[in-house]
Amino acid sequence: MFVKPLSVIMPCLAILLSYQSTEAAPMGFSESTMAMGDFNNNWREAFINYAITPRDAFGVSATYMRADDKTKTRTLEELTYTRLLKRWNMPHAQANLWFMGGLGMLQGEDKQAGNDQSFDEIMVTPGVQFDYETTRVYLAATHRFYRASDINHDYSAVRAGFSFYETEYDRTQPWFIVEARNMNGLSEKIEITPMLRFINKNFFIEAGVNNSREPRFNFMYIF
Amino acid sequence: MKKLLFTSLILSTLLSNVAFATQTIKANVNGMVCAFCAQGIEKKMRALSQTKDVYVNLKQRVVAVELKDGQTLSNDTVKDLIKDAGYEVTSIEVSEHPIAQIKAGYETMEKEKK
Repeated sequence: MFVKPLSVIMPCLAILLSYQSTEAAPMGFSESTMAMGDFNNNWREAFINYAITPRDAFGVSATYMRADDKTKTRTLEELTYTRLLKRWNMPHAQANLWFMGGLGMLQGEDKQAGNDQSFDEIMVTPGVQFDYETTRVYLAATHRFYRASDINHDYSAVRAGFSFYETEYDRTQPWFIVEARNMNGLSEKIEITPMLRFINKNFFIEAGVNNSREPRFNFMYIF
Repeated sequence: MKKLLFTSLILSTLLSNVAFATQTIKANVNGMVCAFCAQGIEKKMRALSQTKDVYVNLKQRVVAVELKDGQTLSNDTVKDLIKDAGYEVTSIEVSEHPIAQIKAGYETMEKEKK
């Protein structure tokens, strides 16, 4: 019942707005290194990048993906580039338009009755994210292509949430975030994950349980 | 002799005031809504040799940099560092109050609002 309206809302938001999985921002400030992790049963990603300018970051990423029925597994190692295309700094809000892209090697395995296949291919992963945030509200929409020859695992996600209260800069702020996401060709479901997010000036963590009752954990850290 | 002593006293008082005058640069910043994202501003400011302390207030959109005694820092440098961290400075002023006093002022203001 909740999924059906989302299937309408998601494309609309994607058009109106348009990252990779989870976060407030996919890169840190100039000359900083950012590490990120996103883990659940079917999607596990570890990512690190270095911001060479306030707007550009290069990094490496490793992603493991698995189909809901466990018949397909994918492992992707990429070199990534992140670009802040546009930032809107408002008195009580910030909005960003990001480009994220990667080029890497995909190792795939398809298990079918009597016909198991494994393959290696070059994969490209260009995508965009739009996010809008105040001290109380967070909205984000992401679409990223995951393409290789005869492979389409395009990723779409929308997120919305609110903070329980405003905090001082030195204090940890709790948020409630809901994410809906889908990866084409690996899952026919829309994965919906309500999460608790804790933001501090030194760390960013999220934890929740999705609509298949699987746990999810995300983190970000800037060095 | 008396005149010389008086002049010396005045001069030494003035000089000691100059030597110990607090200087804090206070900037109003747009787009500063998240502590995790705004840590860049604090880290960039603290990396400066002139910096004694840094104060960030997300609600009031304020970044304040207190300088070490006898140090100077141009407003433009502060503006550029905040811009490099991804934010926009809407106004900037130099205050003679230390950060502790500025922070206490905002805390009082917020208590009064409640």
